[in-house]
Amino acid sequence: MSILIDQKTKVLIQGITGVEGSRACKEMILYGTKVLAGVRPGAGGEFVEGVPVYDTVKDALKHHPEINTSLIIIPAKNVKDAALEAIFAGIPLINILTEYVPPIDSSVIMAWAEKYKTRIVGCSSIGIISPSKSKVGSIGSAEIRYMFKKGPIGIISKSGGMTAELAAVLGKHGLGQSTVVGIGADTICGSDFADLLQLFEKDRETKATVIFGEVGGVSEELVAEYVKSKKIKKPIVALIGGKFTHILPSGTVLGHAGAIVSHGKGGYDSKVMALQKSGVVLAKNPEEIPLLLKKILKIKQKR
Amino acid sequence: MKLYEFEGADLLEKYEIPVPKRQIVTSFKDKVVIPCPLVIKAQILSGDRKKAGGILFADKKSDLYKTIKSLLGKIISKEKVEKVLVEEKIEKVAEYYTSFSFSGTARAPVLSLSTKGGSGINDAFIYPIDMIVGLEPFFIRQALSDSGFLSKDIDSLSGIILNLWKLFTEEKLVLAEINPLLKTSTGAFFACDAKLDYGKRRAVENMDGDIAIIASGGGASLINIDALLLAGGHPANYAEYSGNPKAELVEKITKEVLLKPGIKACWVVGGTASFTDIYETMKGFTEGLKKVTPKPNFPFVIRRDVPRAKEAQKLLADFAEKEDYRFFIYGSETPMAETAKMVVKLAYQKN
Repeated sequence: MSILIDQKTKVLIQGITGVEGSRACKEMILYGTKVLAGVRPGAGGEFVEGVPVYDTVKDALKHHPEINTSLIIIPAKNVKDAALEAIFAGIPLINILTEYVPPIDSSVIMAWAEKYKTRIVGCSSIGIISPSKSKVGSIGSAEIRYMFKKGPIGIISKSGGMTAELAAVLGKHGLGQSTVVGIGADTICGSDFADLLQLFEKDRETKATVIFGEVGGVSEELVAEYVKSKKIKKPIVALIGGKFTHILPSGTVLGHAGAIVSHGKGGYDSKVMALQKSGVVLAKNPEEIPLLLKKILKIKQKR
Repeated sequence: MKLYEFEGADLLEKYEIPVPKRQIVTSFKDKVVIPCPLVIKAQILSGDRKKAGGILFADKKSDLYKTIKSLLGKIISKEKVEKVLVEEKIEKVAEYYTSFSFSGTARAPVLSLSTKGGSGINDAFIYPIDMIVGLEPFFIRQALSDSGFLSKDIDSLSGIILNLWKLFTEEKLVLAEINPLLKTSTGAFFACDAKLDYGKRRAVENMDGDIAIIASGGGASLINIDALLLAGGHPANYAEYSGNPKAELVEKITKEVLLKPGIKACWVVGGTASFTDIYETMKGFTEGLKKVTPKPNFPFVIRRDVPRAKEAQKLLADFAEKEDYRFFIYGSETPMAETAKMVVKLAYQKN
């Protein structure tokens, strides 16, 4: 098994005619993902990489009712509109790759998604990959496709760039992945660590998870609460970035929109302390992660 | 990006939020036209301005220019005071607090309220806003009532707060805070200081060290600077680009980072990229480097990999040979943390 996506995933790409959209389309087809349709208002009737383009999401669904996932790659100012179109059309999983979506727009998307029980991954997500089954988005593109191998480790990362780095590091130690998800690091974020860890909890293929977090927000602290209350029992190895940020003024925005320096809750110390206290294993750097995982999994096998 | 108080006050006025009469002064020779008593406030971005001595009072004209002179040019919380805001002093009977910001936990904007505003505020009532409905006045009135505001203030306050919401959403801010919101004996309200923040970041954040950093990837950049500190290095800056930037952006960052005096080494570092064109970004780096004078003779440690990394490595090697630079080039076979140790060693080794 895997979480979120597998061979049964049938994808719609909103923004399929754009530079990033058409590239993602090509890469996804190359990986074996079933891309059934695309949407671009005004380009209905065209084809991108052999995939038919429709003017609206409903038009696409009329011809391809089996679509169950939408990938959104369009300019930030149009994302709210496109996401609402997909939510109202009843698509259960929406992966938003666009960066710099205004948080007020993200808030509207998340409010409706909650009401319609739509799962959102993103904004600012790099995508989702279940190795050798399916991938959605820009994750695992081109040459780095081979770095993601099937296996027992689930990865959730706020950083898109770190997904390939982590998969490569795990791969060196023969540890493949069940599913790797880039959740993005916006202040208003669809699925957070705790949401997806609960899915990994139910996934038989996943034996342990890796989370890559960073300063800003309290989603790492929330993981600690879930672990403490035993809602999440599978072992977790966490790598948290931003120890150095205590030397920067509070409120400084770093690489990601949600990576905001805080000297209290949401800061590096707060996250690391909460996670450690709850029993989550902390890694000092990426290279330490596979070693810790091996140790944890071996201990588990002995019991 | 935060706004200065005087910029914020202009924006509040634009959205019909009452602010005191005020005037910006950049020289003690500027003529002040507002009558005393006055408040004189240093225009800096740091919080805790009052505690740091950035807010002074002048009850009579004879004190005024002396007070202005004492603030202009002064360094407060590491910031030089270039401007002061001279503002009519509001005789208050109460100090309130109100703000809009975003909550990641609620996945929504939140309204914060307190009847005890002023400096040192730490507790406020927080109300997540249901964005299916949006913010309607009834919600504000209920929040005010629940937070313990006086019933006779609720109507006028909800008007001010609704205007603040318009400002917050139309200007696409991540924080719109009025503190203090002063109440006068006649029941009028004045926004006497505001924090308005666009949440934008600067391309380069200065730090006090001597190893220049050009990092890729929001997440990778953080663990890499952590690794640099652990290896005993002192970062000169935080600078990051990600996604698929044009060569020009990398060129601009390179110039800005390397022009800082006292640099002992430069570290160009990023993870195994998914779709960043390494060749394009490294071309931007070399273009930027060409424009740095005097020509840096310190070492460069470069660690990048995939899309077009092979071409990029050749470009870098050729450039270093032709222009005589000390480049140490690595790919994903070498862990990022290893290259942190290398750059630290190269930076601080005695020749």
